[in-house]
Amino acid sequence: MKSLLEVSGVSVSFDGFKAINNLSFAIGDAELRAIIGPNGAGKTTFMDIVTGKTRPDEGRVLWGEANISLLGLSEARIAREGIGRKFQKPTVFEDQTVLENLLMALRNARGPLQVLFYRPTPEDLDRVHELAGEIGLLDALDRKSGELSHGQKQWLEIGMLLAQEPRLLLVDEPAAGMTPAEREHTTTLLVEAAKSRAVVVIEHDMDFVRRLGCKVTVLHDGAVQAEGSLDHVTANRKVIDVYLGR
Amino acid sequence: MPQSVIARNPSVLVFLAILGLFTLSVTLMSEWAGSEIVSTSFVKTLGKTLCLALVAVAMDLVWGYAGILSLGHFAFFGLGGYMIGMWLMYERTHRIVASSLAEAPIPPTESEIAGAIGNQIFGVVGSSEFPAIWAFADSLALQLLLVVLVPGLFAFVFGWLAFRSRVTGVYLSILTQAMTLALALYLFQNDSGLRGNNGLSGLQNLPGLDHVPQSSISIWFFWASAGALALGYVFSAWIVSGKFGSVIRGIRDNESRVRFLGYPVEAYKLFVFTVTAMIAGIAGALYYPQAGIINPAEIAPIASIYLAVWVAIGGRGRLYGAVIGAAFVSLVSSWFTGGQAPDVNLGFYTIKWVDWWLVLLGLSFVAVTLLAPKGIGGLVDLWTGRMAPDRHGADLGPDSGSLREAEAEQ
Amino acid sequence: MRPIILAMHVLIVSTVATLAETGPVQAILQEQRDLIVKSSRKTIGPAIEAVATSGLPEAQSVLQAWQVKNIWMRKSDGLFFLGEKIDSKTYRLIDFDSGDTVGEFPKRALKNIKPNSGIRALIGTALVQFQLLDPEPDRRMAALDAIERSPDASLLAPLRNSIDDESDAEIRARKMRIERLLTIAHGTSVDERVAAIEEMSTDLGVDVRAALNPLTRTKIMAFAGDIPEGLNVARRLSPGSDDLPREDAYALLVATDLAPAIVGRDAIRDALIANLEDNSAGGVQAGELGTDEARLRAYGVLARAGTVPPLVTDAEMDAALDAHIFAAVYAEASSAVTAAAESALVRIANRVGISQGADLALDALSLASIYFLAAIGLAITFGVMGVINMAHGEFIMMGAYTGYVVQQFIPHHTVSILVAVPLAFVVTFGAGVAMERLVIRWLYNRPLETLLATFGISIALQQLAKNIFGTQARPLTSPSWLDGAWVVNDVISISHIRIAIFVLALIFLGVFLFIMHRTRLGLETRAVTQNRRMAATMGINPDRVNMLTFGLGSGIAGIAGVAIGLYAKVTSDLGADYIVQSFMTVVVGGVGNIWGTLLGATGIGFLQKGIEWFNPSNTLAAQTYMIIFIIVVFIQLRPQGIIALKGRAAGD
Repeated sequence: MKSLLEVSGVSVSFDGFKAINNLSFAIGDAELRAIIGPNGAGKTTFMDIVTGKTRPDEGRVLWGEANISLLGLSEARIAREGIGRKFQKPTVFEDQTVLENLLMALRNARGPLQVLFYRPTPEDLDRVHELAGEIGLLDALDRKSGELSHGQKQWLEIGMLLAQEPRLLLVDEPAAGMTPAEREHTTTLLVEAAKSRAVVVIEHDMDFVRRLGCKVTVLHDGAVQAEGSLDHVTANRKVIDVYLGR
Repeated sequence: MPQSVIARNPSVLVFLAILGLFTLSVTLMSEWAGSEIVSTSFVKTLGKTLCLALVAVAMDLVWGYAGILSLGHFAFFGLGGYMIGMWLMYERTHRIVASSLAEAPIPPTESEIAGAIGNQIFGVVGSSEFPAIWAFADSLALQLLLVVLVPGLFAFVFGWLAFRSRVTGVYLSILTQAMTLALALYLFQNDSGLRGNNGLSGLQNLPGLDHVPQSSISIWFFWASAGALALGYVFSAWIVSGKFGSVIRGIRDNESRVRFLGYPVEAYKLFVFTVTAMIAGIAGALYYPQAGIINPAEIAPIASIYLAVWVAIGGRGRLYGAVIGAAFVSLVSSWFTGGQAPDVNLGFYTIKWVDWWLVLLGLSFVAVTLLAPKGIGGLVDLWTGRMAPDRHGADLGPDSGSLREAEAEQ
Repeated sequence: MRPIILAMHVLIVSTVATLAETGPVQAILQEQRDLIVKSSRKTIGPAIEAVATSGLPEAQSVLQAWQVKNIWMRKSDGLFFLGEKIDSKTYRLIDFDSGDTVGEFPKRALKNIKPNSGIRALIGTALVQFQLLDPEPDRRMAALDAIERSPDASLLAPLRNSIDDESDAEIRARKMRIERLLTIAHGTSVDERVAAIEEMSTDLGVDVRAALNPLTRTKIMAFAGDIPEGLNVARRLSPGSDDLPREDAYALLVATDLAPAIVGRDAIRDALIANLEDNSAGGVQAGELGTDEARLRAYGVLARAGTVPPLVTDAEMDAALDAHIFAAVYAEASSAVTAAAESALVRIANRVGISQGADLALDALSLASIYFLAAIGLAITFGVMGVINMAHGEFIMMGAYTGYVVQQFIPHHTVSILVAVPLAFVVTFGAGVAMERLVIRWLYNRPLETLLATFGISIALQQLAKNIFGTQARPLTSPSWLDGAWVVNDVISISHIRIAIFVLALIFLGVFLFIMHRTRLGLETRAVTQNRRMAATMGINPDRVNMLTFGLGSGIAGIAGVAIGLYAKVTSDLGADYIVQSFMTVVVGGVGNIWGTLLGATGIGFLQKGIEWFNPSNTLAAQTYMIIFIIVVFIQLRPQGIIALKGRAAGD
């Protein structure tokens, strides 16, 4: 199977500390993948590299059917290529309404002039309402997102990601600080999303990962330690030593 | 979602109505209309205040909405003034020179006229040659175009360099301040081609309109300023009301999040920076003919900081706040420094406001920043009862340093 | 009655005087009587010389008396005497040769010799040779000063004569040096002059260059045929080259009557106006004379009629230029001397260049120290705490005013500075802590608002200083041991104050490093800088640390203010003058790193001096270009400063 994203031999170091060390990783279309690993394993840095926030010292990051190199592209350009990212901390635009947040994320032309003359079409509004329904915020469309609860903000952010219609979704600890019911909902959203696109979830919580029921990649010291089903990797001796055993 | 700008922003209508009413009443009370209530010089003061309000709107757009604390927008204001000043000075000197040379036994050649004008204008800096930047000074249309283009180009080049390198926050502020200082220092030189620290003067006399009394000219400029402010306000409201406004406010609050949504943040910043510089240029072009003189001291960095002060006191992140701030502070300032404010006698010391006004302004500015970050415009919120959610100052996002809370629904 | 008695008295006395013998001085004066009485600068020379070279011991006193208008001529016999005033109408005359009193005479019987200032200067020059041998060292020095002011050929011989007997080593060295310089200009033989030139060609003194420059001065001349023999030609010039533009060359021909003058536009206009008849000139209506083309046509008609001189065409101009030879000719006749002078000047220029480079480096270093002093406090508050303090400049000003106030109470300058430095620290430390407590701590994590709030404080403080101290500059006088300068040679020198500031900057650097790396406060500050929350959980009180850090930064600004006030005037704008450079220093250097600040200050100091060196006449332009340069370089190469933070933290 041709992979959607292919990361090979990537290394990056900060002041001599190797945050990522010769890491290789690939994910195909419509695949759900969880990345786990102890603190400092390089999970977030890996996301930074894929989304263009951090430039690696060496290695290749190839994207899509045309094998475009993502290195050297700006964050915005990479996002427009179809990679969406959700941060650890819910980051929505708190001073703006849920509707404005979603409209901003909606897949449309991103240039300043096009945006300046943009007026939402009925289709756009329908799509926003549909998304709001999915994330359970239909009633809150005109509320300022700053007024939402923590979990609602997480969903709103996921909703914004979905509105971007990315081909690859990078999600950093989506379930952090959620109630069990909210986790349930989040799981559903992610699994649903992964039916039509690639989703990479970074997560600490084993139960949550188990519920996702997907292939798992274990990162340690900036490199892939193990890859496979959750049962497979949890049986791995080294993984137990570095991560689970503690 | 309502579709028209006006409908989405009822405050625009209110603002336009108040501005219209104000313009009408000043017109009726002016010497032009035969009344004695508002003197010609006060009409000029009010006209200048409207121009300052316009540049404050531009500042609000770039700072209050897009989060770029530019300490250079008064430089763009000054550049606009210089551009129109060049035409005013050239054309007026041209007429004077032509009429004086016409008395000679034989008519002057074109090069003689040009030489005489150059002598008149640049004699004060020991030159008589026209510098290359005066190439279009004889054409009102071109020079009017330059009023917009020169500040725009300046802002574009600077912004392109700065935003491309992702200079943000206080770094950007300091760089814009340095840019302004460099421009002011450059213009202070005698060989800058703009008469050094003499600046351009006599701008209140419109060429060819010597027979028109200043009372009429002042009211024309007053109307023009009011019109420009109205247009600038509506234009700015249109910019910030739609999705574009959403995006730039997003940039202000969390730049990298907007970037990960796929928006070219730098292009947006550059757009706002350049457009507001153009608006500032227009405001300056209307201001300086009313002031009569422009010199490099006008665009010293301190002026741009005052501009930020006005917007902050009026309440940034809302366009009418900028207008209120600029009008309030500049009028109160001229009241205090003009010697009209009564001295306060404390017995052992007499407070002369001419001396103490700046101290008061500085401290009240600190007070506004600390106690009322929404500025005077915050009072409108109290009145309409639409308070933003009170978050007790808790951290709202990871982008420390971004402006928060001050944004209110319009 | 009285006039008659007086007249009789005069008669008797004068009879006595004529009987007296005339001495050698009187003889010389009598020989030159006509010139002395005529008293004209142009003709007086031989008279002065006759006295000065007479070799008589009285010559000096005669010249001195002459110079101070004390020589009187007795009208009755034309003899000269030294006059001594008894009252407004009567003078006592003293014979120059014998020194005896000749008698008292009414003023109207005498004529005062009043040399004008030009003649007095000539007498002064003549007197120098006597002063050179004066027993008083001060007088000898004064004589040398006089020679330097007006290096006259006639002084060379007496100067040489005075060297051998000179006992004072310093004066002797100076005499020898001046002798060399005089020889360069006025030596009798070419060899002697060339030798002197070569001997002085390693000397950087301005006086050496002043002596050599006139030798290499040239004048551009035009010759109809070959260049006459005997002229010391520097080089041939061709018209149209950079050294001799075509217009200048032709103007030279016109000036020496070798070619007719060019008729310029103004001349054409004036000629046309002068020849207006019936409202037309040269057949062209006056109203049509508004273009160059029409004017030329009309002028051509007039010229052909012979009314006006003809226009000089380009071809005629070229022909005239081709027909002549142009050359730069030395005023100095000897080619050996001019060649030696040229090469000596080149050698001197090279050495001066090196010295100037060193001097520039010293200047730059001292400027860098000032920027460093001004910026170090800012680096602490901005770099360590992330707080932009626009009132930093006003803290500098506050320190300077503290120094000024202290000097009002303690007049002894050294003591007052020793008191002012710690007091300035205390005052500004207090002000800094107060500002941190009252304003800044409410605005942490909102840097733009901090910037504006501190700006409000800045304008308030500035105006407050104006209200208290007035707008005029206040002096802060440095102790006398800081006056003067360290002089290496004629080019390299640096004032003691600047050295002191440099030393102070080094001390500050040391103190800062000590505080940051060897004290509890430093440790806590670094901890809070890196992770505020973690530091708090470990028992560090971040509020206290911030307060102290801010106070420290402000206190250092106060001390910097005293230092800056010592060499600049204390005004309310003092701080504002340095604030932009301070910001750039910190920003260029990179945040949170004292070495970055040091590097930034050094870079900006050297850059500013370097640009000033390229463009010395226009400091405004130099500053403009420096700022633009820094903006462009900074934002293009190192957006986060020279020493940038790296890693995940850097992006957030």
